[in-house]
Amino acid sequence: MLVNVSKGAHIAKNCQVAVAPSPPLADDVFLITREYSMVGVEHSASIVLIDDDRELGTMLTDFLKPDRLDLTVCGNAEDGLRSLAAGDFDLAILDIMLPGINGLDALKEIRKTSDIPVIMLTARGDDVDRIIGLEFGADDYLAKPFNPRELLARIKAILRRSHREEPDSGRLCLGEIELEPRTRRAAHGENALRLTGTEFEILRCLLETPGAVVSKEQLSERALGRRLLPYDRSIDTHVSNLRGKLERAGSQKESIKNQRGVGYLLLPDQ
Amino acid sequence: MRSLLIRIFLSFWLIIGITIGIAALAGFYYSERLREAMENFEHGDTVLEASRALDEDGREGLVQWLKDFPKNRGLTIYVMDEERRDLLGRPIPGNIARLMGRHRLHMRHHGPERQEPGNLRRARPLSQLVSATGQVFTLIVLPTRRPPGIFGPTPHGSILLIVALIVSGIVSYLLAHAIASPIRKLRDATVSLADGNLDARVGASVGKRRDELGMLASDFDSMADKLARSAEQQTELSQNISHELRSPLARMRVALELARREAGDLPEFERINAEAERLDELIGQILSYTRMDSSPQAERARVDLADLIREVIDNVNYECKSAGIDGVSVQASYDASPEIIGYPDALVSAIENMIRNAVRHSPPNSTVSVRLSQQDANAQIEISDEGPGVDESELSRLFEPFYRTKDAPDTGTGLGLAIAQRAIRLNDGDIFAKNSEKGGLQLVISLPLV
Repeated sequence: MLVNVSKGAHIAKNCQVAVAPSPPLADDVFLITREYSMVGVEHSASIVLIDDDRELGTMLTDFLKPDRLDLTVCGNAEDGLRSLAAGDFDLAILDIMLPGINGLDALKEIRKTSDIPVIMLTARGDDVDRIIGLEFGADDYLAKPFNPRELLARIKAILRRSHREEPDSGRLCLGEIELEPRTRRAAHGENALRLTGTEFEILRCLLETPGAVVSKEQLSERALGRRLLPYDRSIDTHVSNLRGKLERAGSQKESIKNQRGVGYLLLPDQ
Repeated sequence: MRSLLIRIFLSFWLIIGITIGIAALAGFYYSERLREAMENFEHGDTVLEASRALDEDGREGLVQWLKDFPKNRGLTIYVMDEERRDLLGRPIPGNIARLMGRHRLHMRHHGPERQEPGNLRRARPLSQLVSATGQVFTLIVLPTRRPPGIFGPTPHGSILLIVALIVSGIVSYLLAHAIASPIRKLRDATVSLADGNLDARVGASVGKRRDELGMLASDFDSMADKLARSAEQQTELSQNISHELRSPLARMRVALELARREAGDLPEFERINAEAERLDELIGQILSYTRMDSSPQAERARVDLADLIREVIDNVNYECKSAGIDGVSVQASYDASPEIIGYPDALVSAIENMIRNAVRHSPPNSTVSVRLSQQDANAQIEISDEGPGVDESELSRLFEPFYRTKDAPDTGTGLGLAIAQRAIRLNDGDIFAKNSEKGGLQLVISLPLV
């Protein structure tokens, strides 16, 4: 058989086209998540796309329509921020490379007032933008040019998370940390914690099994609705953001520890 | 004595010091000799006393007069006979003896035939007396010697010498500093520029000088400006290219999905998709190749190479599985667990590209082996495949961008090993390729340990 690791792309040259496509092997457009695309979104949802590529926006609108995802396209950050402030959106997709106010500044602006889930579009290989974006509170990222099916999968994963009907699991507590999954409220003692959806899910995972290690794979599946990718540091960045928020709220006794190479655990007051 | 500053400083100081010293000593001795000679003429009374003593009692009278000469008059008197010996047998002070040698004093009386004309009075440096028997006695009248100063002939002279040394030292140092310090700054800036710091300039510190060094500094700065500008332009260009190429690619992929929805899953669509992905990969590789050359955005960190290799191998094995390549497995052996200081992302990229390359050239059902070991002050990583190997003449060209060996399958972007080489060099390491004894290509990385 043909040895092929580069991307699966060159197969096309040597083999019959009928050969099933190998998934791309780049660092982030890695999985064609068929399992996700099978699952429909129960609710319709409205999404803001902030990207200066108008044609791409139009095509994406068409692409997402059958899945009852209503896309509003904004050509620059100012328009995007205005639309977000005016309308009731479930998700924002934000291109990092924007004319005028750039995507990272726009993200910072969004996070001042809103916890809306944000997917960033970054240039492939630009790890710095990606890490800063996650630190500024983006929920997930996708390198551009992306596979549209991958984008659809990520959108659905995040929407499914926010629309999940919570079983009556009751509140979760550890030390002074309290979590109310039904109302999606989190607090440390008297201080309310303002968490993004991803951070909330990570904290919940850790709270469900205090003192036990939760692997990064599990955290990625639960909080981002996708598999952990090779060299994927997004969970680490989210955890570090979460840690910072807990500390600023006054948490000293409870802390999130890193079990090197395995995952994270939340240690109760000792 | 390696430093230019110290060498210039010491040689200037030495030369100036020696010159001052010689001039001062010569001047001092000359003036002292002159003074002593002059004094012999100024003590007329003493000479007259001696003359009387000689007249009255001849040589014995002169000896007696010398013995009785009072000490408190501040003078020391020597009287020499024709054999140039002191009458009291004392040694003649060296400078006076030299003086007499110079002037070839006539120690004998030459009689009336040498009578001087009445209008000539020959001045000699020393007075002489002639006895009745015609013996000539030379008188040397010296001021009684002062005790010599600690540092030299006179305290005044030694202070002058020290001051001269200090002043000449300061001047020499300033001169040497003025020459050597801009050169040192230029060198620092050059080293910094070579290390990839394109902001390195010398202008602020050296550029104000109007001399050759100042011109050299401003030339250096304009060269650095040009370098920085061209590096900037290159980065900008590749960013623009990537952006401009990627926007149509992104649209193409969405259009492809829309078409797939309209027309159903035609096999041609899959091929278009695969080619689009290949283009995307190529652009990404070109970008990371250009980026590896400039200073990376990331910071150096402590890297555990065993951990890093483990992660890369996990991912490559996973990729093989998802790409349907089950026949080739990557196996590692760890003979050491060295740690280095480096750029983790660049190292991951290098090792990943090399392992992928090895997997790509492996025959079905073979093993790619990765071995981590420690050789002296280096960590060494060997990546060997069981493929056909590479012709010896082509080994050195493997790391050139887009170089393809004669019989290699047309796979990959052609940039993987070029990226690996740049990434390893960025980490101050070295990389080379050879054919292993078992056949197959072996890539060896060595990286300096902490």
